[in-house]
Amino acid sequence: MSAPEIFFVGDDALAVKLAERAARHALAAALRASGQWVDVVPGKGEVTVQFDPLVVPPRQAEALLRQQAVDIPETEDVSVQAITLHMQADDTAGPDLARIAAENGLTAEAFLARISASPLIVDMMGFTAGFAYVSGLDPALIAPRLDTPRQRVPAGSVGMISGQLGLYALAGPAGWPIIGRIAEPLFDARREAPFTLEAGVSIQLVIER
Amino acid sequence: MVVTVLTPGPLATLQGSARRGLRHQGIPASGPADPLSMALANRLCGNLPDVTAVEITFGGAAFEFRQDTVFSFAGAALSATLSGAPVPAHETLEAKNGDVLAFAHPAAGVRTYLAISGGLRAEAMFGSASTFLPAGFGGFLGRVLRAGDQMERAGAANKPPPLATPTPLRPHMARAHSLRAVPGPDFAALTPAVWRETFQTTNRMDRTGLELTGNWPKPEAGAHRPSAALFAGAVQLTPSGNGFVLLPDAQTTGGYPHILQVIRADRHLLGQIAPGDRVSFLTRSVDDAYQDLRAKAGYLAEWLPEFCF
Repeated sequence: MSAPEIFFVGDDALAVKLAERAARHALAAALRASGQWVDVVPGKGEVTVQFDPLVVPPRQAEALLRQQAVDIPETEDVSVQAITLHMQADDTAGPDLARIAAENGLTAEAFLARISASPLIVDMMGFTAGFAYVSGLDPALIAPRLDTPRQRVPAGSVGMISGQLGLYALAGPAGWPIIGRIAEPLFDARREAPFTLEAGVSIQLVIER
Repeated sequence: MVVTVLTPGPLATLQGSARRGLRHQGIPASGPADPLSMALANRLCGNLPDVTAVEITFGGAAFEFRQDTVFSFAGAALSATLSGAPVPAHETLEAKNGDVLAFAHPAAGVRTYLAISGGLRAEAMFGSASTFLPAGFGGFLGRVLRAGDQMERAGAANKPPPLATPTPLRPHMARAHSLRAVPGPDFAALTPAVWRETFQTTNRMDRTGLELTGNWPKPEAGAHRPSAALFAGAVQLTPSGNGFVLLPDAQTTGGYPHILQVIRADRHLLGQIAPGDRVSFLTRSVDDAYQDLRAKAGYLAEWLPEFCF
């Protein structure tokens, strides 16, 4: 394949531009496994790495990344992890569910059926600790952000905006309408990998009402 | 118990090392907003640079020692009082059981670091004791310090020889700041004017970042890019028309135009910028910034050999 575009993000970070999500996740995994970078962060159009210039000078880091980016693993070689999560969807767990379903001209049951039938995949983690951006949501379903964010939603809350779900692993402020709550813990400090989700994981959502 | 919080002032947290390698899970570095001042305070107590200390914001804090101990402070406060008697920043100090240490509001700068020999005990999370308030973990029960909180010593109390920070190494606290920066990935054709402007900080500031008003380039309507990684020191152009500079607790990804990046060598300065201060940016290339970092690291190496930017 042709060499992807690489550019500096400040004086101690570099990014590789990659349009395809699976390629970004494969490259991010390979870069993290190389142990050469302080942080490796997939975004929605690129993979960004941070380095310590006193350990790896910037031009050396650029050359290293250029070399690593050419050897992107073939995406079909990357196994897609799948996980089943149960979403409680009542007025308590999903305070905006009834309203958003109605705004889409659907009963709550029909609205939730469309969500659970969507090919959901964790696009990236970010924003705050453990927050998962989940893409693949049925594009016909729409929901605007809240005008006033909630100060605190419980851990496991499922937010929705048009085209995306957002899973809040920890309790905290939330600007997306909340349509349910995941029953399984998305965060457990005692586990070696405390967060259940990571970029590239596909989600089968089972609705519980 | 070694120290009791009598009053925390507007905001006080425990901070230690920065978290690394977790930004893809949304976990930022945290740690001191001014890591150099914390390292200098720790040095005077015989501690490594990122041993857990109290980060005091805007002064107004008071603590009671419950054991005889060696302590020191550095950052915005130039002096404090110990049971009524003035004590200076940047010196190894000794407190007796029952002494009260009080900080006034600093004339310039924001954050003061109070270190004790052996460091303060904190809840380690993801490999660091630093408090991350938005998710409520690390530090003292994952929260801000409150009056009555009783802090324990983490390591062994030692009695280092009395030291003073060499005068040339003491960070200068001012109300105007020149920050060296490189163009960010969204530095557009209209942006070069930013190098000639002076911006002013608003009251919107905390450990996630600080807002700058002034003559910023006008973002194109709805300017937004696909969310990508961000790091402390990023300067984003927000829909309000203001700039927003990210600090150690900032979100790890974002989609506003990222027009400047404060260079690694100067990010410790961000922690001392107060509301109403003036800020300008000095243009650097990636290669300049590397030389700047080597120069500053070399300058600090003898006094702080373990300090990491």
